[in-house]
Amino acid sequence: MVEAQLAEWLEEGYVPSFRTACLILGNRSDAEEAVQEAFLRAWRFRDSLTDVPSIRPWLYRVVVNSCYSKLRQEIPHRDRRAGDEPLSHVAADGAGPEASAERGEVADTVLAALARLPLSLRVPVVLRYYADLSERDIARAIGRRQGTVKSRLHEARRRLAADPALSALATFGDGKDGAGDGDGDAVAGEEARS
Amino acid sequence: MTMLDDDRLAELFGRAAEAFEVPESGIDEILARAERGTTRGDADAGDEAGASALSGGLEADDGAGDTAMTDELTRRRRLVTVAGRHRILSVAVVAVVVLIAAGTIGAVVRSPSGPTLSSLRAVGEKGARPGGVAGPAASTTLPVLTPASPGPAFAPGAASPNSSSGTDARTGAQGQSAPALPPGAVGQEAKIEQTGTLELTVKKGDLTRTMTRLTNLAGSVGGFVANSQSQNGTGGGSAYGTISMEVPVNDFASVLKAAEQFGKTSNVSTNATDVTGQYVDLQARLTALEDSREQYLTILAKATSIGDILSVQEQLDSIQQQIEQLQGQLQLLTSQTSYSKVTVTINEGTPPPHPGPLPESGLVQAWHDSVGGFVAGVEGLVRLAGPLLFALLCLVLAAVGGRLLWRRYQRHRL
Repeated sequence: MVEAQLAEWLEEGYVPSFRTACLILGNRSDAEEAVQEAFLRAWRFRDSLTDVPSIRPWLYRVVVNSCYSKLRQEIPHRDRRAGDEPLSHVAADGAGPEASAERGEVADTVLAALARLPLSLRVPVVLRYYADLSERDIARAIGRRQGTVKSRLHEARRRLAADPALSALATFGDGKDGAGDGDGDAVAGEEARS
Repeated sequence: MTMLDDDRLAELFGRAAEAFEVPESGIDEILARAERGTTRGDADAGDEAGASALSGGLEADDGAGDTAMTDELTRRRRLVTVAGRHRILSVAVVAVVVLIAAGTIGAVVRSPSGPTLSSLRAVGEKGARPGGVAGPAASTTLPVLTPASPGPAFAPGAASPNSSSGTDARTGAQGQSAPALPPGAVGQEAKIEQTGTLELTVKKGDLTRTMTRLTNLAGSVGGFVANSQSQNGTGGGSAYGTISMEVPVNDFASVLKAAEQFGKTSNVSTNATDVTGQYVDLQARLTALEDSREQYLTILAKATSIGDILSVQEQLDSIQQQIEQLQGQLQLLTSQTSYSKVTVTINEGTPPPHPGPLPESGLVQAWHDSVGGFVAGVEGLVRLAGPLLFALLCLVLAAVGGRLLWRRYQRHRL
């Protein structure tokens, strides 16, 4: 594996990987550390990338496992700090206060719904609907069979649909945003496809 | 799902993700650190998770990545860190090692020549024979006390051996120093008193005939019937009889064997008592008294006054009386060891119930029960120690295996 090529892949995959980790962990600083560790680990094992059939699932697998490590080893054993609130670093993209508030509300609702999902369901649904991975790639990323991924996605969708806050947000969004507001999925889709 | 279809869900996720501001210098810092080769600390910190996260090919590269890690201090620190992370596993490993070491030490330290519980029990069982002598095995064994083989020569200091339910008699002679023997005692033939008891069951109406046959048997070997008693089955009971025969000691075994053929034998017991020591003692005392009598006779022949004569005569009478008593005892012993007593109990039909041993007093019984309970408790503890150790080992292994499986399950569940 050429280092320059891996560096290019890491550079392109940093943003979607970071935001994927944010959705899984629900915390910006944890996600930043997890992605950093994942990328450094990927760099360390760059020589074995010749055996990897596809770089995207592999990279997400490293990121997901880094998130697992964070959740399993570090986060349960530390006190919650004030600065670790989930949306302590909401992106400021120059929009007005109303738009920022609305974005924060959406993020809060989605993250709360995701937080209520067990990790075994949260990871596949994030990889599927944010990172836009296929079921096959998700299976590679989490090291499970494709049928398992399918059933977990089904269960995750069922639970999210049963979430009243998320359903209300979807209903509200249908009326207010309409089909024209496709920033989120468009960005994610493009980032993911890159 | 009408409201939350796939596109809507993807849109919501995208909008939620956009709320997180991406660190501007994040990827640049990572790449810079990666290219500077300063990734060791980070890689080591996440090495454990990485090993499970990455594919086998990636794990194979782990060794190459650690080639530069030769510092002993760093290795030790890493070992301590891993041990700290897996506390239960570490404790389990230490416990297994300690158990194995303890078992090895125990096996090495245990003396093969030392007395074991089983050997002690075996000795105890030997010593617990009824009438037998407890302690180490007898140094002299008297074989079958048949008339053809009257036994080995005199065993000095032997206790009176008794044997039951068998034809062997073991002496309790031990390796202790023998008392001084009287002249002529060496080479003394063993004097054994033998008695035998036989219970026979014969057909109804054969009681008298069997007793006659037994009387004839005793007479045929030069013996005689010392006592005979019979009772007819009146009042619905079965008839029974008892006959005691004195037979020459040389014919004891043959008579007993012949008597067994007269009916169905339900119980046979023999008892042999070595009275050699008593016999020798009587002989010695007799010899000494005879010597004294000779000396008093000499004094009597030299006595001149009436007072001296009367005094010596008085002593002589006393000695003579003792000599006669000893001679009588010797004759009795000789008779007892020349003839053996065989007691045959004959029953018609079912034999009467065998009388059990006399009940012990409450205090003795309680003491015996207490000692028996204590010994049983100690034996039980010793017996349980092995299985408990094994169970502990199994528990430790199960804990280790369970811990590993749980970790794996947790990882898969994620």
